[in-house]
Amino acid sequence: MALLRAGLCPGLTAEMVPLLRASGLRTVVDFVSSDLEEVAQKCSLSYKALVAVRRVLLAQFSAFPANGADLYEELKSSTAILSTGIASLDKLLDSGLYTGEVTELMGVPGSGKTQVCLSIAASVSLCLKQHVLFLDSTGGFTASRLYQMLQAQPEDEEEQLEALQRVQVVRVFDVYEMLRALQELRDSLSQQVLSSTGPLKVVLIDSVSAVIYPLLGGKQSEGLALMMQLARELKMLAREFSLAVVVTNQVTRDSSAGPLKPALGRSWSFVPSTRVLLESKETTWEKANMQRIASLAKSPRQPTGLQVELDIGNSDVQELSPATPTQGL
Amino acid sequence: MQRDVGSLPLAPALRARLVAAGFQTAQEVLETGPCGLSKDSLLSPEFWLQCTTALGSFENLIVSSRNIEIGISKEEALEALQVVRQECHSDATRTAGAPGTSRKCTALELLEQEQAQGFIITFCSALDNVLGGGVQLTKITEICGAPGVGKTQLCMQLAVDVQIPECFGGLAGEAVFIDTEGSFMVDRVVDIAAACVQHCQLIAEAHQEEDHLKALETFSLESILSHIYYFRCRDYTELLAEVYLLPDFLSEHSKVRLVVIDGIAFPFRHDFEDLSLRTRLLNGLAQQLIIIANDHKAAVVLTNQMTTRIGQSQSTLVPALGESWGHAATVRLIFHWDNNQRLATLYKSPSQKESTIPYHITPHGFRDVQPPAVTQNPEGTEMNPRKRLRREEEK
Repeated sequence: MALLRAGLCPGLTAEMVPLLRASGLRTVVDFVSSDLEEVAQKCSLSYKALVAVRRVLLAQFSAFPANGADLYEELKSSTAILSTGIASLDKLLDSGLYTGEVTELMGVPGSGKTQVCLSIAASVSLCLKQHVLFLDSTGGFTASRLYQMLQAQPEDEEEQLEALQRVQVVRVFDVYEMLRALQELRDSLSQQVLSSTGPLKVVLIDSVSAVIYPLLGGKQSEGLALMMQLARELKMLAREFSLAVVVTNQVTRDSSAGPLKPALGRSWSFVPSTRVLLESKETTWEKANMQRIASLAKSPRQPTGLQVELDIGNSDVQELSPATPTQGL
Repeated sequence: MQRDVGSLPLAPALRARLVAAGFQTAQEVLETGPCGLSKDSLLSPEFWLQCTTALGSFENLIVSSRNIEIGISKEEALEALQVVRQECHSDATRTAGAPGTSRKCTALELLEQEQAQGFIITFCSALDNVLGGGVQLTKITEICGAPGVGKTQLCMQLAVDVQIPECFGGLAGEAVFIDTEGSFMVDRVVDIAAACVQHCQLIAEAHQEEDHLKALETFSLESILSHIYYFRCRDYTELLAEVYLLPDFLSEHSKVRLVVIDGIAFPFRHDFEDLSLRTRLLNGLAQQLIIIANDHKAAVVLTNQMTTRIGQSQSTLVPALGESWGHAATVRLIFHWDNNQRLATLYKSPSQKESTIPYHITPHGFRDVQPPAVTQNPEGTEMNPRKRLRREEEK
């Protein structure tokens, strides 16, 4: 919905713009969808000039249709699959995180979402040697835990410290700050400033619901709009720059005894293409342990309902070793 | 500069009007200028010149002589342009990599910061180990527990411990105590502070170092009590107001390293009809607290109550204030009873494993459980460790 401005295209002169505006045509869409004969009569402009301008505007602003086969070729060459560092989670996600898509991790507090995010950051920065951007909105990013995870890998210390330098952390505690950070990322990627972002492949956002929750509901109308704005930014970043975007979300209940469902409602549920639910094996906090179950709630490639087990207690997040028979129960 | 108009922090009505008028990016808004946005059609060139000089100059400032009617007043237009200009300016400085960017850094820098940061010790070494050294700065720690289990005791202990001088391993900071339940007892704090000063005196006598003795001169009962800033909030409005005013208070008192809110559940649990409003307010509060913790390098400690969740076959005690509040705290400790022993469970932490340890409340404050001596009991019955400790103290 671009505004009509002088100089937008060669035929649109400075004299034409006020005349068009006076007859109610303010944006490009208004112009190309109006009857040009009427406009020519009302504004006393040449019909030929208007048709020429319309042709140029259509060429400039409309989207090009693409052939399915071309699209497939393009997708094959530009999509990468990044391993999360956890073999069982990779199996759940059909061999890893796909670039160009938004993946969501959800779970109750303490279910291990931040741990999985840290594990992804560790594996991508150390094994794949790519840059990672971590947007932290809850204060849960602990660099010493990330370092602990890196130290569990067989690489030497210098490489581990280099890997730490490839992880960039931005603390955003407000939705406007998050939007600003994503906008900056888009600017720097489109200008291809290599030194600051490097070959960025993964953007992790922990968590997206913490910044959106205070705005939703009640008499506020802007909450949903900002959420959708954020969703659009994330999808655009993922698609245009071939990034894998991972977000974490909360879960809520409808009533105090109802089943758990992901937060942020139905509008948000269309944003991520893959959703993984993390939950603890035990239901009460009294019997706390390190074992978690990851189940697939939404996926474009795998059947939903797949489950794998994870262990988040050790130096890195691992799949559970096969159960050894205990000596006396 | 290509910031979408929908993502700018403007009032919703103003933003809606800008979007309806066809503006898409911040660039377009800036180019049109305040006179183009407002309703008045008769504006002198001098006034326009004043507007542009007041807002500074941008490279692509195109003077538009005709006006677009979007129905906002000149003051609103000027305000909107100020906001847009501020956003674009700070974007520009950030992409240029100015050192003023406070919240963006690499993980390596964060690791160095974390390793240099201290902890607030709790005087219970088992709990300190479980927490990884003590209560962490720049994070929100939540303590949940049934009534009488020791949450306020730990808060008072932390308010004293944060003031321990650096040569004894403390942070030499000050504390803010926000009380909503009225459970802050000054005489109890006097007991805890006296025990802490005595403990430090014993260390100084054992080591006999210069800086220890110098620090002890300033670390006395009066100084400890005078550095605990106490606020009493009676309902949730006062609590919200206090938290939103806290950044200004903390900028004036820059030595504050601990903010305790004793009883965050109490004002939100009674007398609240609209539960979705409660969730929104609590989430907004959580975000404000994490901003405070991060900007002022302080630890925020909250205490929460427990409620019963009735399932199909059993009922369990869970922390109050609902599911979404569980995400607000970075570290969650749950205090509970096991027969006569008080236990603390670390339930949620980004860097430590979940574990349970026993602890003890003594006349001196929050302490470890003393391991029962091996030789003493010929009958072989299990003695209550609390009783044992008191007998030892009476000696």
